[in-house]
Amino acid sequence: MKTILVFREEKFAWAHEAFPFVHPLLLPLCNKPYIEYPLDLAILAGSTAVRIVCDGRLDAVESYCEDGSRWGIDLSYAHMHPEDSDEILLGKNRRFCGDERIMIVRGFCFFVYNKRFDYKSEAASLPECKWAACPAGGSITLYGAPVTPRKDGKDAPMSIVPLDGMANYYRASMEALETGADNYVLPGYGVEPGCAIGRNVVMSKSVQIRKPVNIGNNVQLLGDTIIGPSAIIGSNVIIDRQSVVESSIVLDNTYIGEHLEVNGRVASGNMLNDPVSGASIVMEDPHLLSGIRESEILSTLPRKLTHALIALLFIVVLSFPFLLFAMLLRIGGLWKSSRIECHSEKPGKTISLDNIELDVKKPLGAIAAALSMDRYPMLFRVLTGQLSLIGSTARVAEAKHPNTPSSSLAYRPAVFSYAEAEEWPTTGGDAAIVERYHLAHSNAAADVGLVFKAFINNFHKKSSA
Amino acid sequence: MNITETSNGGVAVVALEGRLDMLSAPEFRNNRSIIDPEKTVVLDLEKLDFLDTSGLGAIVGASRQKQNLACGIVLSCMNDKVRRVFEITKVQTLFHIFDDTAAAIDFATNRQSAST
Repeated sequence: MKTILVFREEKFAWAHEAFPFVHPLLLPLCNKPYIEYPLDLAILAGSTAVRIVCDGRLDAVESYCEDGSRWGIDLSYAHMHPEDSDEILLGKNRRFCGDERIMIVRGFCFFVYNKRFDYKSEAASLPECKWAACPAGGSITLYGAPVTPRKDGKDAPMSIVPLDGMANYYRASMEALETGADNYVLPGYGVEPGCAIGRNVVMSKSVQIRKPVNIGNNVQLLGDTIIGPSAIIGSNVIIDRQSVVESSIVLDNTYIGEHLEVNGRVASGNMLNDPVSGASIVMEDPHLLSGIRESEILSTLPRKLTHALIALLFIVVLSFPFLLFAMLLRIGGLWKSSRIECHSEKPGKTISLDNIELDVKKPLGAIAAALSMDRYPMLFRVLTGQLSLIGSTARVAEAKHPNTPSSSLAYRPAVFSYAEAEEWPTTGGDAAIVERYHLAHSNAAADVGLVFKAFINNFHKKSSA
Repeated sequence: MNITETSNGGVAVVALEGRLDMLSAPEFRNNRSIIDPEKTVVLDLEKLDFLDTSGLGAIVGASRQKQNLACGIVLSCMNDKVRRVFEITKVQTLFHIFDDTAAAIDFATNRQSAST
């Protein structure tokens, strides 16, 4: 038996917005990443190999789950198109499927099962059919002939709750908490049912724990706090003194201040959500309420320094040609300069750049363009940190669309673009592809090579034109 | 890079071996089946060890040349390294990706006959 877990990005888009710091498939559900529930189900059904298929990115899931050896299964990953039917999906994964029985689990759903039942013999004995389904799109379908006959007539419980919003996420978490270790494999240790506590939990003597509760790792519960009933406390959480957390979920890396009462809420970082109405409040203290992240300055400083040094080199080397060409071209009327507003790297901000147009039909203008003289004034912006030396093509901020590009991670305005270095089209989707690749993977040393490559490519392009 | 080309009905199977990078991308771009806009191609990437943006650009460019954008080029047997490059750049959304060449050929043949 093998299992294919199928996820469509569209179905978990809400989780991206509500919990932006975690991939939706790793969203903790009773302190256990979501993806582990369908994996557990696949293992209970007797699967020896599982493939996770998605139409979006899976890198975070892949680095968490790796090759599945921690569950004793072979785990692999693949891509699909959102509209792919089961038939196409089986075709796309034909080598994985081989001649074995296949269970296709579709949807970003919570699967209500009980680990004490024998799902293995049931999955092996059922004919080709939909084992379970819910109207919102989640389903479990079996393909291939039954392997063994049915041993007993006891049906194992199986139902599906779609995780289509905060309300159902809250409900599913509470279901997992209340049925607890009886039905599911949950993290944490506990000598009595309904109470599981992780590693490195520090609690003062005056803390009251009211079952059922599930507490993660590295948690501090300060004096006179009351936890529960029905409270899920994630990892790296501090609950300050005299606070009450009841019927609520406190996700990882969250701080709950003192004298607070959290009842029927989902707290995540600096966000407090009401699962019933869907309303959320963003707290004003990101220092205390956000997860710990690598300092942006420290992570980008070497790259910015390298860019500034190379820009300085360009400024020095090209200063004489620039002064000469600028003077001659201005006298000849071949140098037209204007200012344009472009999106900055920082969301919601713009920068004003010199837009120099050279008449490349004239030999003097063509030589100046080949030497990238039109970019010379922008080099000074690299020294001030407003531009990178190499990155994305600066996008003009239009009056109709004043907002910055949606993913600021994949946009860093620069003097030269990665697309120029790679001789790709410098606009549109193609440029976005190569820019995204290098913004994610390049480093200071690689940038140096790419800058010179872009400069030389520009020289060849303009001089041959 | 070695390019091996075989024909399976109306579908060309182009197997790439080695590195598809700046140096080898022109050879790939000039392949007869890749240039032909009417030819459906199954690109077997099983033995492709390395892919950079020039190679990725060549594959995307080749698919743009095809009359049938959705299945002019079908990819098969992608290894994890190559798959990650496709994932980071979101290029995987442009292609149908199979883990088996025979399945990819079946798919391409069906789509080709459906479109004609």
